[in-house]
Order: sequence, then structure tokens, then C-alpha cells
Amino acid sequence: MLLSKESVVSMFRSVALIWQQNADSLSDIDSRFGDGDHGVTIGKMAALTLERLDSWKEESIKDFIEDLSTGFMGISGGSAGPLYGTLVEGLAEPLTDETAIDATTLKAMLTGSRESLFEITKARVGDKTMMDALIPAVDAACQAENDVVKVLQAASGAALQGAKDTANMVAKFGRARSYGEKTLGTPDVGAASTALLFQGFLYGVEKQG
Amino acid sequence: MKMKKFINAQENLTKELLEGFAAAHADLVTLKPGNMVVNRKLEAANRVTIVTQGGSGHEPAISGFVGDGMVDISVVGDIFAAPGPQACVDAIKMADRGKGVLYVVLNHAGDMLTGNLTMKQVEKEGLHVIKVVTQEDVSNAPRSNSDDRRGLVGCIPTYKIAGGAAAEGKSLEEVAAVAQRFADNMATLAVAVRGATHPSTGSMLADLGEDEMEIGMGQHGEGGGGRSAMKTADATADIMLNALLKDLSIQSGEKLMLILNGAGATTLMELFIIYRRCVQILKEKNIQLVANYVGELLTVQEQAGFQMFIARMDDELLRYWNAPCNTPYMKKQ
Repeated sequence: MLLSKESVVSMFRSVALIWQQNADSLSDIDSRFGDGDHGVTIGKMAALTLERLDSWKEESIKDFIEDLSTGFMGISGGSAGPLYGTLVEGLAEPLTDETAIDATTLKAMLTGSRESLFEITKARVGDKTMMDALIPAVDAACQAENDVVKVLQAASGAALQGAKDTANMVAKFGRARSYGEKTLGTPDVGAASTALLFQGFLYGVEKQG
Repeated sequence: MKMKKFINAQENLTKELLEGFAAAHADLVTLKPGNMVVNRKLEAANRVTIVTQGGSGHEPAISGFVGDGMVDISVVGDIFAAPGPQACVDAIKMADRGKGVLYVVLNHAGDMLTGNLTMKQVEKEGLHVIKVVTQEDVSNAPRSNSDDRRGLVGCIPTYKIAGGAAAEGKSLEEVAAVAQRFADNMATLAVAVRGATHPSTGSMLADLGEDEMEIGMGQHGEGGGGRSAMKTADATADIMLNALLKDLSIQSGEKLMLILNGAGATTLMELFIIYRRCVQILKEKNIQLVANYVGELLTVQEQAGFQMFIARMDDELLRYWNAPCNTPYMKKQ
């Protein structure tokens, strides 16, 4: 199948809803080694996503995603806005004026998101950040069969596992870094919200299918 | 813990606090879209201007130091959170009076990310901007690894020193060099005896036991220093000041600035008792105390404790520190 504009709407709507449902538990995780407001920022990004989806008319998929990225960048909620803004900006990078997205393009989009973040952060797998979910997700997506659902299944599964694995890591970046060894046992909140993003993409497509 | 605070809707905290702040200091500052607090005299400024950013919830920082002689625009994020890069790019464009802009960023993950994305954008647009990062917390990394040091109260005297240099008509390169020299010669250590609460969620950011203290606490209650049993004022001052003097290798005969910054819930009484001991220690070591501040510059909700700050001074830095300024929370004639 191809991802039509309707599928893209469904994917982002599903991300927004899953973020909203989990906002409180994200803040709860964040309160242990951050300042406890990651869920608040994620909630703002979810609300903005829903608002933009409702007003999406004639713009191309690329323009919609780029506008959403600018919106995320403008959210004053610490690092999550710029990080997710950059991730989403990267998704738009390989696009031109497509009205539907095939598996090859989807893989390029996911790779684009990873490359964009590589430009602004040195964090890699093992550092206990959102990259622990994103990098394996993109790797798994690229190795999956050329089928959009299979690509998203692979990405979502790997992101979830990556986020779980962060519980056994010592934080190397961000506010949690100061706590060192004490962060063992608690998963990284950014990895958790990134896993939810991929889960949302998958659910959105499955609903469509 | 249930919050007992005079607030309305949690999602409007920052907006309402900025409206109140701007109304209370309408002679000095004005509020612009994008949560920008702007020096009313900015338009007439024929000099290097200064832009900074930071989360709300730290009042009077940072907007309390917007005005002539210090910050021209402060871009305010939500509680404890950096603003987005777009607002900072807009602020730098608005601030630029043709002489360039000094952009001061505190070393915290979110602020640095916004700072780097902002610099990427303003450089693309060909604006003349130099970024100076304040990173002076001695508790979580050695001086050789200052990129890992958090930016605490040191941003405030940095604004003052940079503002003094800008007011003298120095070029952007000169103002940035002075600010950087000051920033390279400062050190802060924070202590907490009770954690802050997050006013949006009510959660406690650090959970300290009744008889515990933590020296080396970050701005919002991020730990790092290690906990110990509660100590007296003198014993605390000894540990903290000696650690700071050692970090900067301050020698007998040198000139020093000393700031005690209350975190919000510690009283002036306590701060003066600590200050008294610091003066004794410096006298014993024959170190000249040439500049000081005791009070609240950069606070955090409900946190009890304070930040002790020192900086190595010289005559030029002292002249900029003593130069006139007129801001809501720092005035010099």
C-alpha cells in the first residue's frame, strides 16, 4: 500500500492521541531525574498537531510536515520542542511534491529524521536519550521489507525495545546526566516519548489499512 | 505534596507572570509577542545590544535584569524550560541596532539546543551575533571539562559586565571578549536543604530528608554533589568558599567578587550569617573583596538553599560592574 494524505493525517493524529494519553506518565518519569514537565511539553505538541491536522487543506505532505516542524520549534518547553522539531523536519527532507508515500520514500524519511538529529546532538545509542529509541527504529525500518506497514512495525518494535533498554543505562546527556548512576532502573523519558511516536505512526496506518 | 500557591490555570502561569511583571515595571520594560521582555530604551540604543533566554519560575531572573546597562531582550520559556529557537531569532533581529548582538546562553541542555539552533539561523541570515555561554557550576565537572558545567547565577553579573562594556561603546568583539574573560574567571557552588516543586505539575524535584543537605545541587534540584547531614552556617561556608577558591586557584592579594544568591526559600538572615563567615575567610587569606551582592537574583520555586558565586576581578571588570544600570532588580548610579 501507499501512504496517502489520509494515511498521513491518521498517522499524526494517532501520535497526538497516544502522546496525550501518556502525558501524565511521561511527566512522572521526568520528575525523577528531570524537572517533571516532559509530559506537559508533549501535551502541547499533541495539541498543536491536532490543530494543524484540522486546518490542513491544499498544502503538500512535505509542506504540512515542514510547517508542523516549525510549530514544534516554537514551543517553549525546553529541549523537546527543538528536538522533535528537528526530527520532524528531517522526515520532510526527502519529499518533494508526493501525494502518496511508498515504502522506499518512508525509509528515506525516517533516515532523514535520524540524520537531522545527528547534526545537532552527539548523543548515540547507550547515552540514555531519545536517540536510544530513534536510531534502532530507523535501522530496523531500513532493514524491513518494502511494505509501509512492515517498515512501521519494525520501527515501532525497535523503538519500544530501545526505550526499555534505557532503564539499564547511565544518563550521559541532558538534565539527568548530573544524577549519574542513580538513573539506573528508570527509563529515559525522551526515549519513551519517541517510542510512542513510532507506535502512533503504526497505529495510524493500521487503522487506515 | 499538595501545592499551596496563588496561581490560576497552570497553563497560563508564564503568560500571567509576564503580564504582571511588565505592568509592575512598565517604566523600564515592555512585553512583546513570543514572550519577549524588551528594554524600553532599546530603540534609541546606538551600541552593542544584549539578548538572553531562559525558563520562567526563576524570578527575578532573568527578565528582572532587562533595562539600560544590562539585558536588552530576555526571551522567556515556560517554567524551568528554554524558549524555542524561533523566538530567539526574532529577538536578536529586533535587538540589533546595527552594532551587533551579544547572545548570552546558560549551559543547560535545552538552552544550549535552542542557542545552537538560533545561531545556525542568525548566521544563515548574515546577522552579526556572538554567543557567550555561562558554565560555572564547579560541582559536576572539573574546570578542564567546562562544557559539562551548568550555568547558574553567574549569568547575572555577566550581563552587568557585558552591559557596562556595551554602554562604553565597545565593539561586539570587545564586549564578547570582556564577557568571556569574566565568564572564564567565575565559579559557583549551590547548596539545597529542601527541593523545589514544579508549579505546573506539583511534583517535587529533589527529595531531601529532614536532616539532609546537598552541596552541589543544580538550578532546579538536579543533584550531583552528594548528600550530607545538615551543617552549621560557618561549616557550610567553609566547605563551599574553599572549594570555589581552589577551583579558580585564587591567590593571596587577588581581587574577588562574591555573590550569595538565595534560592527562594532561604532567608536573608541565613544569607548574612553565611556572608559574615565568607568575609572572615577572605580576610584570613588576604583576598580583597571588591564587589558583592547578597540577596535573590536567580531563584527556584520553594527550594531552600543558596548559590555561592565568586569571580576573579580586575580594574576593568570592576568598572563595568560599577557602571550605571537601571533595571527592575538591579540599579546602579
